[in-house]
Amino acid sequence: MQPFTNETIDLNTLPKYEETPLTKPDRKYWKIIIINLCIFLAFVAIGLGLLILFNENARNHWLLWLSIFVAFAVFLYLISHVSFKRRGFALREKDILYKSGVLAEKTTIIPLNRIQHVALNEGVFSRMFGLGTLQIYTASGSSGEIHIAGIKIEQAKVIRESLVQRLTINTKAENE
Amino acid sequence: MFVDFSQPQRQSAAGILINGAYVVQHVVRAMFIPLVLFIVKANKMAILYTAFGFIAILVLAFLYGYFYYLKFTFYLNPLKQEFVIDKGVFSRKHLTIPLEKIQQVNINQGFLQKLIGVYSLQIDTAGTDSKEVDIRAINGETAQALKQHLLHGQTVTTITENEITIPAAPVQDVPLIKIKTATLFKIGLTSNYGQSFALLTAFGYAAFHNIKELLKALDNDNGQVEQFVKSGFTLFSIGILVAAIAVLLLATNVIRTFVKYFDFQLSKHRQSLLISAGLLTKKNTLLHPNKVQITEYSQNYLQKKIGLFHMSLKQAHAGRQQSEKEMKNNNTEIPGCSTTEKDELLRMILGRLPEGGSTFKPNWRFLNLPIVFFVLLPILIYFVFYYFFSEVRPYYPLAAIYTIIVLLMTYISYTKHRITVSENYIIKQSGIWDISQEIIEPHKIQSISTSQYLWHKKLDIGHVTLYTAAGSISFSYGNFTEIKTLVNYWLYQVEGGNEEWM
Repeated sequence: MQPFTNETIDLNTLPKYEETPLTKPDRKYWKIIIINLCIFLAFVAIGLGLLILFNENARNHWLLWLSIFVAFAVFLYLISHVSFKRRGFALREKDILYKSGVLAEKTTIIPLNRIQHVALNEGVFSRMFGLGTLQIYTASGSSGEIHIAGIKIEQAKVIRESLVQRLTINTKAENE
Repeated sequence: MFVDFSQPQRQSAAGILINGAYVVQHVVRAMFIPLVLFIVKANKMAILYTAFGFIAILVLAFLYGYFYYLKFTFYLNPLKQEFVIDKGVFSRKHLTIPLEKIQQVNINQGFLQKLIGVYSLQIDTAGTDSKEVDIRAINGETAQALKQHLLHGQTVTTITENEITIPAAPVQDVPLIKIKTATLFKIGLTSNYGQSFALLTAFGYAAFHNIKELLKALDNDNGQVEQFVKSGFTLFSIGILVAAIAVLLLATNVIRTFVKYFDFQLSKHRQSLLISAGLLTKKNTLLHPNKVQITEYSQNYLQKKIGLFHMSLKQAHAGRQQSEKEMKNNNTEIPGCSTTEKDELLRMILGRLPEGGSTFKPNWRFLNLPIVFFVLLPILIYFVFYYFFSEVRPYYPLAAIYTIIVLLMTYISYTKHRITVSENYIIKQSGIWDISQEIIEPHKIQSISTSQYLWHKKLDIGHVTLYTAAGSISFSYGNFTEIKTLVNYWLYQVEGGNEEWM
């Protein structure tokens, strides 16, 4: 590390974001991923089935098509699994961070005093399992946002409340 | 002069004319080519009907303009500090803009407005479409007064927030930067080649396409255009063509620069910067220095020789995704300024000149991906073609030139890519031909993200992106340990400080 010209702060004593223990998404969220994957694969399978049924050329090579399909399914399953395993989020005193990514590990950090608004989404399947997606917006547009999927709905509500309350406190301080 | 804006009022009566003309312009623009074709092909009777139809459109347009004028009111609510617009003939729209959200007030004068002697006034806010808030006809004095109210009305209540810079500075109307015609000519010759080239290409394609359409419509298309183009491609004429394109490019550049930046003046007006420029339509922009999120200045080889900088002040576009064009509109460009003028402006916006700090450079692996995607892959494809099709074989010198140029460009971009960090500033340098320096202050950061490829874990290489309300800045292939320390430091600055980003 090159020396900074700033001596008053010892950089090594600053809280380290990379060492923050992360909360994994809820286990039930894995089921939702699997359900979504199955639905997607079912559509692909139907398309493939129709192709094999009506196309003579494809019918002669049905074994090849089937093995490609199976390989594709296994590939998607593995990717989803890795992606699920690597996700995690943490709410710190002054910021919220979210980690994800398969090939590249990406960590996004939003300071609480930069949050514009917070949304809580519940999909059809998520509602069945009592889960929700927390979306946190800043003024930087969609690229700097965080979407945390698969949080227990009660927990998500608590987080949202705490974030929103901070928000109103902040804006109040601004107006005064 | 004092104008009372607290009562709902209409725009200037000339608005009827402007609104009508606006509608006519839209209709004509949409139907131009079919209309021309129709007139060329049709008989006399049909032309007569068309004329009647056109008159009908004209009458309807001005009728609409009249009602639009009647229904369009605006006023300033001094209690709530809001600007309110009611508009719409068929569907009503009620717009409320808190004064503190206003970023820019633009007063423009288009051609027709110049004829009548009125101005249009647009309000830029974080989060709404600027076209929404467009008062199309307003007389000059009212426009100026309204602009003052919109931008300074807010300071009455929240003095402490917006006037951190210099309290009660004397009003200066001596321009800080004034670009002379000769300088403008130099700017035109040395900058924006890329943009002009794109413009020329688009224009050339459109011309080609339209001539073909016209010939087709007249049933005369026997491929003359292609023939003409093809006959132009002998080896000798290519040389002339290249020279002609270069001249055309420079000419376009100069003309564009003149149209856009003629009589460019930047002056300090209380706490704001007042910028006016334009040949055909004079464009006035007023902006608050503390609403600038990213300050960028750039210089290419030629500009360095004549000592000119290009500057761009990027403002917040908060709350929603914007297209590239809208992002550009939010930027205030200063086409040319000298070193002293640049420093003066930086001092105004940032408070002082950024100096010192530690510099971080990327690892050589920065080169890998661009070389694979832009050199190895295309060359591989070319070799495949080379093997199977004999037609492409004579073009191997082109492939060699391409390889050399792209390798050189990649290498230059690698050597220029760096980030300099000091206590108050983060400066990112990048570029190949135009070398730009983007300066942000840590408290303007909205969020930070770091990323690392799995295979770079052992090598300790990673990337970081800083998001602001006016775009992002990234530093790639740096030492990840250093990056993590920097991120922790920036987080400390953003979360520990109480400075507002806007």
